[in-house]
Amino acid sequence: MGVSRRLAIGELKEHKRIYAIIVLVIALTMTSFMLENAYLNYMMQVVDDTTKLVTSDAVIVDPSSNLRDLYGTEPELKNAGRIARQIESELSNWETSIRVTAQGTYGLGVEGEAVDGCTIQGIDPIKDDKISSIKSKIVSGRYFKDSDPILRGHTPLYIEIEGPGDLPNFVYGTGERLLEEDEPYPIIVGATAAKMHPSVDVGNTFGLTLSVSGKESSYATINVQVIGLYESGTPTLDALMWFMHADSLREIKRYGNVEGKDWVVPGVGTFRGYNPITVDRDRGDVVIVKAPEPLHQLNPVAHAQDVSNTLEEIFPYLDVYNWHDFLVYIAGSMQDVVTIMLWGSILVTLFLCGAAIKYVMDSIIMRKTREIGSLKAFGARDRVVFKIFLYQGLIIGIIAGLLGIVFSLAVMNFVNWYGLSVEFIAGTQLEIGFIVNWLTLVTALALPVILSVLAAAIPAKKASMLSPVEALRKGELSL
Amino acid sequence: MIKTKKPIIRLENVSKKYDEYGVVVNALDNVSLKIDKGEFVSIIGPSGCGKSTLLHCMGLLDRPSEGKVLIEEKDTTKISGKEIAEFRGTKLGFVFQNYNLIPRLTVLENVVLPGLIMNKKQKELEEKARVLLKEVGIYHRADHKGIHLSGGEQQRVAIARALINDPVLLLADEPTGALDTDSSTEIMKILLNLNKTRGTTSIFVSHEIEIAKFGIRTLAIKDGKIVGDTKEKGSDFESVVKSFKNNYNGG
Repeated sequence: MGVSRRLAIGELKEHKRIYAIIVLVIALTMTSFMLENAYLNYMMQVVDDTTKLVTSDAVIVDPSSNLRDLYGTEPELKNAGRIARQIESELSNWETSIRVTAQGTYGLGVEGEAVDGCTIQGIDPIKDDKISSIKSKIVSGRYFKDSDPILRGHTPLYIEIEGPGDLPNFVYGTGERLLEEDEPYPIIVGATAAKMHPSVDVGNTFGLTLSVSGKESSYATINVQVIGLYESGTPTLDALMWFMHADSLREIKRYGNVEGKDWVVPGVGTFRGYNPITVDRDRGDVVIVKAPEPLHQLNPVAHAQDVSNTLEEIFPYLDVYNWHDFLVYIAGSMQDVVTIMLWGSILVTLFLCGAAIKYVMDSIIMRKTREIGSLKAFGARDRVVFKIFLYQGLIIGIIAGLLGIVFSLAVMNFVNWYGLSVEFIAGTQLEIGFIVNWLTLVTALALPVILSVLAAAIPAKKASMLSPVEALRKGELSL
Repeated sequence: MIKTKKPIIRLENVSKKYDEYGVVVNALDNVSLKIDKGEFVSIIGPSGCGKSTLLHCMGLLDRPSEGKVLIEEKDTTKISGKEIAEFRGTKLGFVFQNYNLIPRLTVLENVVLPGLIMNKKQKELEEKARVLLKEVGIYHRADHKGIHLSGGEQQRVAIARALINDPVLLLADEPTGALDTDSSTEIMKILLNLNKTRGTTSIFVSHEIEIAKFGIRTLAIKDGKIVGDTKEKGSDFESVVKSFKNNYNGG
């Protein structure tokens, strides 16, 4: 061990109390940083999972929609089938499927249960890119099968009332089949929703009120029967996102050849009773696109952008969103604010710790000038003296960083073991989880090391520049 | 063939000026001297006469404003800071008035420290340190912390420390300044003995005449100038002392 390091360790031991306090403050700051960062990573992972389940690699929607509509309020995408086919024919190995979406409300009128909302994703149960991830996550019941009453062979009764002035027409549909007992639509729901709503369980039938488009006031109340519960590992996602067969939603949204009878009441509107319809599978709200995996995916964001660019070239008149656009939209601003606050508080605390290190070392140097003078008299070069104090900063930083990591990992393990959760969106309990990545770990170690080395470098430089005779003289005076 | 002794240190017209609040103080004024190998030299003079400044210039702790300091005939006034540090570490040994031991280190650790600074091997240094500690009579306290030793004991450790790198010149600045009479005598005897046994060229500064008497050669300094040197023909210790202290009566 070099003499500088040996003397630095001696100095640290001599002033262990004051340095222990500084180390502890930095360690606790880094613990807080690690916990917040790991929790943020976890939250981003939650959002990321949600995003990818909705978008796959990219989605194509009607230009009148915006990103927010991807939760189920997007208007119909004209020529969805043709768009999907065009992609598959022009781009080799690209896969598409058409989704039909809606927003749902459940729990209405059920005693002891709250009213909650969800996004209904109407999927193509054979072609949809996310089938495997839904299937593999079913924890109770099953996935869709051919014998399911996906289409009930009729459409519900609709009443369309003309909106006064420029207001849109009001459309109300009922799930009740006229004069006949109704067969419910099959649905796969999140396990979290089932936990919170005893009425929502495998085999149970209940009423679901759908808002089928955000741009028009179209509603329908339908009966659904739960055929399966899925658990994504993200309770919020489970509570919010349910899956129906795309054809079921096509039937409900009247995407097909409609035959029916109208009773027009002048000045009020049209009452329509529909006969069975033939759904048109070319109609839908979103075209989901899955691009071939690149051979080496070092930058998933760049890949997502490439996918978007390719699609935008083909369909310049349509809106293309990739999963990253969606992620940034729903979590970006939140993440930015939290990140700024996190870094702000961490940097302020670290700055104060750095100032403390500097002033402690300054005062030590003032008391130790004679010692520094002696070292120089014994042949110590400026660099040796500089390193004595720099090593102290380095050691303080390393110990503080490592302690911070150990503390935070201990807290994370404790929280995981204890199972803490917080109330989240739609009455869900979001289990607190942590994702520690290498960047967080490296930052948690590098930040205190850089800070304390920088803080130590100022007094270290001052000490190294002392002329030996001045140091010896000042030392005499300070005794 | 006449064999001339090579001086260990030579000063040529060395002056040192300080600027104190705009007033220039001549701490050393055109000092020239030569000290040969094996000499045991005391420098005496009143407070503020420049004797410590002279020692600092000889020890390369301070650079002269004018003139040359040559150690083993190498001009040190034109060498870099790095080389000066190298010179201090390898050629010179220092003993300070207040011992300057590092209190948290043991006696042995204090002694080996200058060797470690010069990147020497710890084991060899420790062996050497033990020999030196035996020579200065403090080996029995080798594992004690420096701070727990008496002043006389600390100064013995400081002497051992000064010799760890086998310096060609030992410089002691008031080595007995903080000690009682008995301890002072012991320290001076140790230094003298080392000069005899090891041949270590030594220069020490003292304001005490009784201590300066230990010097085999004595230089007197007054107002930054050398005013007496026992090496000069016709000079002895008393005449040298009288050169700066008019009322000195030999006692």
